[in-house]
Amino acid sequence: MIRFENLTKIYRGIKAVDDLNLQIPRGTIFGFIGPNGAGKTTTIKMMAGVLRPTRGRIYIDGVDIAKEPSKVKRIIGFIPDRPFLYEKLSGLEFLRFKAGLYGMKGDGLDEKVLGLLNLFELTEWADELIESYSHGMKQRLIIAASMLHEPKVIIVDEPMVGLDPRGAKLVKEIFGEWAGKGATVFLSTHALALAQEVCQQIAIVDRGRIVASGTSEDLRRQAGVEGDLERVFLKITGGVAGR
Amino acid sequence: MFKTLIAPKFLGLRNGLKRSQGKTKIKILTLTGSGILFWVVLFFLFYRVLLYFSSQEIIGDILARHLLAMVFLIFFSLLIFSHIITALSNLYLSQDLELCHSSPARLTDIFLSRSFYTVIDSSWMLFVFGLPVMMAYGFVYHAGFNYYLSLIYVSLPLVIIAAGSGIMLIMVLVRFFPAQRARDVIMFLSLILIVVLYLLFRFLRPERLVNPDTFTSVAQYLGALKAPDSPYLPSHWATDLLWTRLTKYTGSQVLNHLLLWSTASAMGVMAIWMAGLIYFNGFSKAQEAKRRSPAGRRILEKIVALITRPLGPEITSLIAKDIRTFFRDNSQWSQLLLLGALVVVYLYNFSVLPLERSPIKSIYLQNALSFLNIGLAGFVISALSVRFIFPAVSSEGQSFWIILSSPLSPRRFLWSKYLAYLLPMLILAEVLITYTNYLLEVTPFMMALSSVTIFFLVFGIVALGVGLGAVYPNFQHENIAQVATGFGGLIYMIISSVFIASVIVLEAGPVYTILSAHFKGEAITLFQWVWIVSSFILVVLLNIFAVQRPMAAGLKAIHAYEG
Repeated sequence: MIRFENLTKIYRGIKAVDDLNLQIPRGTIFGFIGPNGAGKTTTIKMMAGVLRPTRGRIYIDGVDIAKEPSKVKRIIGFIPDRPFLYEKLSGLEFLRFKAGLYGMKGDGLDEKVLGLLNLFELTEWADELIESYSHGMKQRLIIAASMLHEPKVIIVDEPMVGLDPRGAKLVKEIFGEWAGKGATVFLSTHALALAQEVCQQIAIVDRGRIVASGTSEDLRRQAGVEGDLERVFLKITGGVAGR
Repeated sequence: MFKTLIAPKFLGLRNGLKRSQGKTKIKILTLTGSGILFWVVLFFLFYRVLLYFSSQEIIGDILARHLLAMVFLIFFSLLIFSHIITALSNLYLSQDLELCHSSPARLTDIFLSRSFYTVIDSSWMLFVFGLPVMMAYGFVYHAGFNYYLSLIYVSLPLVIIAAGSGIMLIMVLVRFFPAQRARDVIMFLSLILIVVLYLLFRFLRPERLVNPDTFTSVAQYLGALKAPDSPYLPSHWATDLLWTRLTKYTGSQVLNHLLLWSTASAMGVMAIWMAGLIYFNGFSKAQEAKRRSPAGRRILEKIVALITRPLGPEITSLIAKDIRTFFRDNSQWSQLLLLGALVVVYLYNFSVLPLERSPIKSIYLQNALSFLNIGLAGFVISALSVRFIFPAVSSEGQSFWIILSSPLSPRRFLWSKYLAYLLPMLILAEVLITYTNYLLEVTPFMMALSSVTIFFLVFGIVALGVGLGAVYPNFQHENIAQVATGFGGLIYMIISSVFIASVIVLEAGPVYTILSAHFKGEAITLFQWVWIVSSFILVVLLNIFAVQRPMAAGLKAIHAYEG
């Protein structure tokens, strides 16, 4: 479903992403974890078509994003880490706007929009301008918007930032349901507990390169440590547990 | 603590300059170059005027004194006005305020550091552009070094008084309205003020002052010259003090010294005292959100539905979003007032042209004016475009990721923006040109030529705005008005003016040939026809180029964008 071929991004001579090769099957929740500055957000932005790779290719559902960006974007839902939205639109208007961008129209659209607002507990705030939303509400609105067009791939950067426990639980359940229906969730996070809990496959990235990948069990074996993902992560990325 | 609190501003400036490279350096050089050019022009303008005044016995000094009083009054008013605007951002809305207020810094230190930011932000421009005016006075009156020292001595309290008044006014306003609303109120009031002043100035017809023959007596002329000066105004005290330095008057000025400095000290003390009482409450209120008015929402929805009815879902979404954002952002829509004022003054100027008293044959003049009017109208459209169309791409702000990650291609995105602005600009341009031509009573040939020329010019002007706006975007702006005042805006105005001028120059010769042949009853030769047709073909090609090039450059810039 998702495939990277020698994916590289160089910023002013510095390799942020260094020759990544990866294949993620359909219906997987994939965790992409790594320390700050490891290249997670850069990778995600390239997958979302917001950033152009210096070298290499990204295939989503067999389509090269560089060659057919619009086709790929129609099947992905992107949730960035910082919820920058059009502050002067209401939540409802924003979802309709987003639907329009994906060419969605027709009778069922309003029903779908209202359903998502309801699912993410934003119905009461539907007509209020986004500028009056809290950080968590904006995050929930972005997640709702990313699901409007029923994407085959969801790309998420730090999904839980700003969410309360109830919101976080809801999002985890939704990702699970989505993957159960055959969608692939590519999730970048610092929250190792979250990765351990929801991801079937995990890659640890450090200085732009994948340094370990597989299931939680595979990672433990590769690191040669027992216990939770935090110990594995610290061992592999050279943190205190590794000393 | 105060020093720590103001450090980020200087560090940011230093780092920006230190790390500037390539394009940034060119930007700085271009802006500095334009600034110096403006500075030199302003100096020579005032120098020439003052030199002329000084050659006029008795009345010359009175005029120079009045001009100085007017300059100080304008500077003082502008200082208060800019302090009000910048104080609101610096004291209540800046993003780093949370950090400052959550630190153990004393409230007075935070207030003083923010007031310091406000003074720097508000005054530097005025000092830069005020200096050539004051230097012109110094040169004409052969003032010594003492004059320049006095300039600093007088300006300092004037700035403190303006800062104190502006900052206290904003503290009181925010005490009663949340800061978000206060900004709206100020934007609206200030725009009304500017529009009223502008219209008043235009309708008073200051051009009459250049021609004293229109006044029945010298007394009436001097009365008309009198600047709105009052002995209660700090600008008056400053003018008196400087004038004595210029004219080397030896009489006592103790009262003016005392008035200026005691008022400045009192303003400083009062502002700090007031800050202790109400500043934090206002800051706290500034965090509160506002609710929407259902009536405004209904009207807006109707407008959006009407405009987007015939379009497809992608373009509808984009245009509807832009319309909603435009009308909900008070700093945006209220600028339509300025647009209205500009258009009214433009049309008014044509309605009062004394064509019948001109020594040149009226019909020639009317047609020549109509021809020049194409350029003027083009320039008005460019001036509006730099404010409304050039920021079209930047208006996406930090939400640009939504467009980039959507299936809407950059090409469709850019052309949607183009189409959204093209129609209103075409209508405006045609109304302007047709109405002014009607006032000028031009020939049908000129009417047709102007309408067609401006019609095609608008295609290029709008494309330049959208395209260059994408080449020089500013997605990090706090206020969309900042976008037009940047480097890209300057480049846009230069290129747009060159484009308009080129079209006018290309058409001027052929139009003159056609008109003179028509009025003299002569036939146009074959060679002239070839020349006329070639010129018009060149105009068409230039228009196509003006649409295609900037849009292609804009598209390339969006493709290369790596936010």
